Amino acid sequence: MSTLGGDEPDRGWMPPSTFIVVPAYNEGSVIGEVIRELRRLPATVVVIDDGSSDQTGAVARNAGAVVVTHPLNRGQGAALQTGLDYCLRRGAEVIATFDADGQHSVEDVPRLVEPILRGEVDVVLGSRFLGTAENISFLRKVILKIGVHFTRVMSGARLTDAHNGIRAFSASAASRIRLTQDRMAHASQIIDQIVAAELRFKEMPVSVRYTDYSKGKGQKSVGAVRVAVDYLMGRVAR
Amino acid sequence: MILFQVFALLVCSIFAVGAVLSVLRGRIGPIVGLAWLTLWVTAGIAIARPETTVAAARLLGITRGADLVFYLAILGMIIGFFAVYLGLRRLEGEITTLTRHMAVSEALSEAESAERQEPDRDDEDS
Repeated sequence: MSTLGGDEPDRGWMPPSTFIVVPAYNEGSVIGEVIRELRRLPATVVVIDDGSSDQTGAVARNAGAVVVTHPLNRGQGAALQTGLDYCLRRGAEVIATFDADGQHSVEDVPRLVEPILRGEVDVVLGSRFLGTAENISFLRKVILKIGVHFTRVMSGARLTDAHNGIRAFSASAASRIRLTQDRMAHASQIIDQIVAAELRFKEMPVSVRYTDYSKGKGQKSVGAVRVAVDYLMGRVAR
Repeated sequence: MILFQVFALLVCSIFAVGAVLSVLRGRIGPIVGLAWLTLWVTAGIAIARPETTVAAARLLGITRGADLVFYLAILGMIIGFFAVYLGLRRLEGEITTLTRHMAVSEALSEAESAERQEPDRDDEDS
């Protein structure tokens, strides 16, 4: 079954109970296009509007997404967990996560879902370093690599990309993820919980495209220090 | 005894009694209550008999009693800041839980309404 239109080659099938979670905060200028692209896939697209002050929710809804709205901004980690909870309540069998800023490629979603449908793994993590990272700055690359080593020390997981927003979970795996890191440290917490729950996981190559918009919107490199502190304090405080 | 000692001992006594009453009224647990009581009694002894701080300092290898009091005050503040930080983190988590509950409940309700309207629309078409 073609997933991207009748004339396009078959890039993988996804069951109708596939949900794609897109956490979004003030992405009104790009979210419409992202959702329209995702809607080409046979999946339910769920945008978690994390207390945006612009028209993110309305634009996403008009583009055809289901919108779950946080009345207050709580952070990407909180939005992601809200998305997982919502999708599980809606009977999702597979849940993919996807960033709202247009960095990710829609074509990667079915490829990440496929190993889960085959029963090979419970979680698939996207890796830009196995795939492509277009226009990535040298500093960002260094910081991400440091993050990989940090994750290896803290959780034991040997990954090539520990902070990529494109992933896929089986429903069973998603139900075992319980994020308490509301902000950007959630990415490390996801890895911790995957390892702790002994979920089967693998990395797959994905494309990440850095645009001026996404670079301006994304985490500043200095923010990596705060992410590390948040993560460590979260481990102490639990 | 100087005026400051009288005033400070009065304050310590009030807070020590407050700690005991808080335990008796169930506002704090017995261990926490005992810790506060110990703190206020110790402070009272140090204020009433300053030479005790010198003896305690020497036991720990610190020259002056005032230095020991200073170090303990710094340590106490750091512990206090950390306890407040942990409390704030817990509060943030509770706000997120509430926010999530509201968001998911509303979204599920909308989804259910949409699903109920679809059969009605199908009936109209047929």
